[in-house]
Amino acid sequence: MSDSIDRETAMQVARLARIHLSDDAASECQHHLSQVLAYIGKLNEVQLPENVLPFFGATESVNAVRADLLVNSFPREVMLKNSPDTDGEFYRVPPVFK
Amino acid sequence: MSRLNREIARLSAAEIVQHIAQGNFSATECTQHFLDAIDRANTRLNALITVAGEQALESAAAIDQLVQSKKKLGPLAGLPIAIKDGICTAGLRTSAGSRMLQNFVPPYDATIVKRLKDAGAIVIGKTNMDEFAMGSSTENSCVGPTLNPWATEFVPGGSSGGSAACVAADLAPTAIGSDTGGSIRQPAAFCGVTGLKPTYGRVSRSGLIAFGSSLDHIGPLTRSAADAALILTTIAGHDSQDSTSAMIDSGDYSTALDESIKGLKIGVCREHFGAGLNPEIDIAIQEAIRVLADRGAQIVETSLPQTEFAVPTYYVIACCEASSNLARFDGVRYTHREPGDDLEQMYCQTRAAGFGAEVKRRIMLGTFALSSGYYDAYYLRASKVRRIIKQDYDVALESCDLILGPTTPTAAFRLGKHTQDPLEMYLADIYTVSANLAGVPAISVPCGFSKAGLPIGMQLQGRAFAESTLLQVAHQYQQQTDWHLRRPVF
Repeated sequence: MSDSIDRETAMQVARLARIHLSDDAASECQHHLSQVLAYIGKLNEVQLPENVLPFFGATESVNAVRADLLVNSFPREVMLKNSPDTDGEFYRVPPVFK
Repeated sequence: MSRLNREIARLSAAEIVQHIAQGNFSATECTQHFLDAIDRANTRLNALITVAGEQALESAAAIDQLVQSKKKLGPLAGLPIAIKDGICTAGLRTSAGSRMLQNFVPPYDATIVKRLKDAGAIVIGKTNMDEFAMGSSTENSCVGPTLNPWATEFVPGGSSGGSAACVAADLAPTAIGSDTGGSIRQPAAFCGVTGLKPTYGRVSRSGLIAFGSSLDHIGPLTRSAADAALILTTIAGHDSQDSTSAMIDSGDYSTALDESIKGLKIGVCREHFGAGLNPEIDIAIQEAIRVLADRGAQIVETSLPQTEFAVPTYYVIACCEASSNLARFDGVRYTHREPGDDLEQMYCQTRAAGFGAEVKRRIMLGTFALSSGYYDAYYLRASKVRRIIKQDYDVALESCDLILGPTTPTAAFRLGKHTQDPLEMYLADIYTVSANLAGVPAISVPCGFSKAGLPIGMQLQGRAFAESTLLQVAHQYQQQTDWHLRRPVF
């Protein structure tokens, strides 16, 4: 584990997370990530038994199945109501390509 | 305050339901009592983001109709309840404390809200919280912090700080919170109320705005363990809408409350009493141990050796899951959008403006830890450490029935104390995060006060699906003590 990251990595992480970072925010982000990663580096001290399996959740269930019943869905206008922009039928977004 | 108002403020949840059923006061009078209390105090405490005045009074009137026509009443008929704002309520704004969802009105009720309403409970409002439940002080809310009713210059804890403050300040007799790393228990401890995080899978999370899906739980914050049992009985049980919901029967959690705890083995974990524990908390916990020993519990020493690694493990896993869960907030479907020349710019500007600083920090930490080349070193390693933390519980709970310790290392801290240093804030969760990693149930119960007059909480953790034992011990403790009955003057 590396416990510090450079500014370019911070900017790359922000791009992956789809969060715009101003110059000031990038410095703050770089500082914070480095600080937290140094703290998380503590996990290197743990003596893990050989072949220990990861634990991803307390149920450890492989699958959850239920009867395939037909149920009512919400009307389109109800689901579109919380959207910031629609044409009444679909979500409307800015162009994918400039 | 009228005689009726004084009476309602002293009643347990079960007594409120009983009085309404017997016609001693109406559901409308009861709801109005709490709406008036909110009206008087909420401007100052900021415990509720949205007050459901009209809807609550309509629901109360419907209960009064049932009472008058002598129809069958649900087990919570007329009982007001405040719901954390990260839990969906049909037709009632649900913001999760975020600018991103400031005007979001869900079209459906979360499963637990539906169950509460079906049982006759009255949703009185939505409580303040750290944005998307990320925080331990309720300071990370887009509507500003909630204040601790015991001393308003102190935080109420978080992230369910609004729910805890509501119950402590008598703005609602019962409340619902969510707990991903201690977010029910830590504010319960800071505000002097009872807070229960059930076993993972015991209570459906369908309709909870997800933060860390393998760690998120929903549970009650109440004045007493008996009230928590009453609420849990209604909200527990399998739900096909939540694929992690357990197929294990729940039952009535009130029935075992009065059973003797004689012979029950209570483990005291040595790692909970090391450096960092405030001496005032230590003294209060030792006294609580004595009370339970006097009731016949057998006190044994136990150990959770990986305790010091729980917080870093939690932060890796919770942030990874958050980075995935919060990807849905993209400016397309949920209310907030910033302009952009193209789709990607719109996403980036919306998420930069819609999320607060702590949420962005956690999303970016999670994104980094899951990114190519780092997954094994962070997420996978943390998940392996999580396995041995879980195994610690399996071993410890073989030789005792439950584990007792402090809920938090200190009493409530001052507003603003940890906002500049998020790492310090994370350490407020040191005793609570392990139960989320292992999925075991845990409850915080008031057990004293600091010299500054701030409440102290005791945490009981138990075996998976053994909520009854936790509630039984907590109730027996509350039969011997009056910490949970004390009320703040604010």
